[in-house]
Amino acid sequence: MSQPIPTVYLVDDEDVLRDALAWLLRSRRLLSEGYASAEAFEAMLEQRSLHGTYLPRDPCCLLLDVRMPGMSGLALFDRLIERGLIEVMPVIFLTGHADVPTAVAAVKRGAFDFVEKPFSDNALVDRVEQALARSAEVLARCQVAQAVQRKLGELTERERDVMRLVIEGRPNKLIADDLDISVRTVEVHRARVFEKMDVKSAVELANLLRGAGLADR
Amino acid sequence: MMPAEPALPRTSQRLRRVLPWVLLVGLLAVAQTALVRLTLDYESAREQELVEQTATVAASDIKQSLGRDLQSLQALLWNEPPREQWLRDAAELLRARREMVRIERRDLEMAIESDVDTPYRPPLFTQLRREAIDIDAEVACATATRLSGPAYSRSYFLPLPGGLGVELLDVCLPVLERGRLAGYMVASYALQGLLTEAVNQEIGQRHELAFVEGDGTRLARAGSIARGRGVFVSQRLIDLPGMALQLRLDSGAGEPDLIPNLATALVLGLSLALSAVVLLLVRDVRKRAAAEHGLAEALAFRKAMEDSLVTGLRARDLEGRITYVNPAFCEMVGFAAAELIGKMTVHNPPPYWPPELVDEYSRRQQVRLAGSLPPREGYETVFMRRNGERFPVMVYEAPLVDGQGRHTGWMSAVLDLSAQRRAEELSRQQHEKLQATARLATVGEMASLLSHELNQPLAAISSYATGSINLMHAGEVDAATQRAIRGAIERIAEQAERAGRVIKSVHDFVRRREHLREAIRVDQLIDAVMPLVKLQARKSATRIEIDLPMPPLPMPRVVCDRTMVEQVLLNLTRNGIQAMEAVAPEHRVLRLQVRQTQTRWVEFAVVDQGPGIADEVAERLFTPFFTTKSEGMGLGLSLCRTVVEQHGGLLVFSNRTPEHGGGTEFRFTLASEPGSAASRRAVPGPPARQAQDADLH
Repeated sequence: MSQPIPTVYLVDDEDVLRDALAWLLRSRRLLSEGYASAEAFEAMLEQRSLHGTYLPRDPCCLLLDVRMPGMSGLALFDRLIERGLIEVMPVIFLTGHADVPTAVAAVKRGAFDFVEKPFSDNALVDRVEQALARSAEVLARCQVAQAVQRKLGELTERERDVMRLVIEGRPNKLIADDLDISVRTVEVHRARVFEKMDVKSAVELANLLRGAGLADR
Repeated sequence: MMPAEPALPRTSQRLRRVLPWVLLVGLLAVAQTALVRLTLDYESAREQELVEQTATVAASDIKQSLGRDLQSLQALLWNEPPREQWLRDAAELLRARREMVRIERRDLEMAIESDVDTPYRPPLFTQLRREAIDIDAEVACATATRLSGPAYSRSYFLPLPGGLGVELLDVCLPVLERGRLAGYMVASYALQGLLTEAVNQEIGQRHELAFVEGDGTRLARAGSIARGRGVFVSQRLIDLPGMALQLRLDSGAGEPDLIPNLATALVLGLSLALSAVVLLLVRDVRKRAAAEHGLAEALAFRKAMEDSLVTGLRARDLEGRITYVNPAFCEMVGFAAAELIGKMTVHNPPPYWPPELVDEYSRRQQVRLAGSLPPREGYETVFMRRNGERFPVMVYEAPLVDGQGRHTGWMSAVLDLSAQRRAEELSRQQHEKLQATARLATVGEMASLLSHELNQPLAAISSYATGSINLMHAGEVDAATQRAIRGAIERIAEQAERAGRVIKSVHDFVRRREHLREAIRVDQLIDAVMPLVKLQARKSATRIEIDLPMPPLPMPRVVCDRTMVEQVLLNLTRNGIQAMEAVAPEHRVLRLQVRQTQTRWVEFAVVDQGPGIADEVAERLFTPFFTTKSEGMGLGLSLCRTVVEQHGGLLVFSNRTPEHGGGTEFRFTLASEPGSAASRRAVPGPPARQAQDADLH
């Protein structure tokens, strides 16, 4: 895997402000992409997630203006919640004075932060960096989970049954009884599960699944 | 009103209603029955009387007949005729008198010397010899001898051949020869014959005549009537020497019929007619009751309607006396109907006329009574409630015309307008409040827009600047970076200019308003803001005193942007009222004073009785965004000063000394209309004052 390149998405109807923010971010060596409206940003998301998943490849965060013509920042925020994106793409709201209460409400619903205009610029960039770090963290966890999912997908049905019982800590003999197969067969399945999941022990397997948030399923 | 007591009273009521009728019909029936009965009785009595009379007539007929016979018999003996002569005469007599059936001459021993039988009958004594039944004749003759005159025997039955018989009666006459009893003459009557021959034929046709014995045994009978009808019976005793005959007469009239009798028919007819009349009467009464009930219903309905009306109703007669008021009217004026009805207007005006207006109302009444029609759309006037409160009413009048088409008075519908007035006032106040709010909202909107418009360039400037500084701090600045920084600085300049344009547009807007200036009378200005000021004052129970120049001083006119100056006045009065929140309510007085101080200037003063302004506050009072109020923005006073200064005037304030009542006085000046009468004749010095209490509630 190559070194991830963090991206800051700017959604603001004011061209000058987008340009100024991009300039500011660039001065701190951060890449940014600007969108003039919530609709344009959504279109980009649709386009880049043709593979069926919205999971971005690289860490990212969103600087979102609350008040815009067309879809408002809050509406876009709601759509992102629906898509399950705000964890991996933290949202920082940019607001005028009047929007502060709504921005606060948005934070309570999961937005990363809100910044009042005019803002203290470097402090804003600091927040952006923190958001990107959070994004990277979440992304990594997601990618692990995805990998585990992919590996699980390779298992046959019988192997999955065996795996479930193995995680529960049952000895091979009992597994054989439960599934009505020979102990020998259980051992073979077990070896193939470990091999496919790329683990060495049942404990490691359980940790892997728990890490991917799958253990309890 | 009757309490709910169902069924029982209704039943008794019904009983009470029905009872007289039952009694009437009962009495009528009894009376009629009695009448018919009496009539029938009377008829019977009459009939009986008739029968009695007939009987008497019949009896006397018989007696007369017998008397005649006796005379005829005695004539046979006249001059002691020889035997042949006597026989001839007797036969002659028997032919003439059919009732007589036999005449015999007897000697003293009762032996028959000679006899003659009636030619109308077969010989009688065939079945029985005459001597066998001679006893009765002997008794009669004995009696005759004793009486020295004719005597009758008891009747006796003589059987005849064929099972029949005949009842006979003998009469014995003593025969005297030269004054000495020489023998007897016995004549026999057939009782039957006596009846048929002696009694008038007419009587015989309609009655049954009979001789009866004491025990009722019928001896002979004549006449015929239908059997069983003889109800009217009369008996007469026919006294004869030696015996008495009992004559019985049965009337053929029978029981009197109900109808054929005229009197009965009349009585019956009248009774029927009476019944019919009673029936008609009942029907009429019932109809009348139904009509009365309907009328009562209609009346109740009308009354309920009048009582439920919110409109007051009042009727007056032609002299102006009140003849009717409905509850709504009473409630409106607070007087009971009894206190109003019958009031004469000339010397005793109705109590709801305000005393100060009685003359005017009386005049109006005179006009009305003179017959002039009131306006159809009604007229507005003032009435007084019992508690002395005056209230506006709308009166609609119409002539009252009775059933005969006569004009009997006037009907008025009275509407209480005070509620409507209050509602109008309220709606006006709300409207003004709304306007003020709208004005404030516009200011807020503008402020918000301005802040946004300024925010954008300022944010951009800030970002470009920070970014540039970041780059310059990063270390060596190469040529490319330098170009980039220059570009950023150019943008900073652009954005700064943009912010400047926003500011300039605001200024232009303010300047544009200068063209809106007009000359306006200060009282109009004050009047325009008064409702809003009062609204505010009413909430805090503050009195507003308005002090304007009074004639002959002219009312000053000022040249200003009306809306903005109104805003200033509102702001200052609001501040003043708010400053007095801690003051005792009786001292909460806000004074608005306007004076023409110099030829060119008119000074407005807003004076409160509050605690005054502290020195440290006073220093920053006109600083924008400085405020002592929790919800204030700190723009009010600074805006006021800006507005006044834009008009070329001055806004100052001073704390008044406690001797002058304390509090704060805000004064501002506005230019007066050049060339106006007020500005020419402005005089310094204390102007006339008018203290006008704002009505607070």
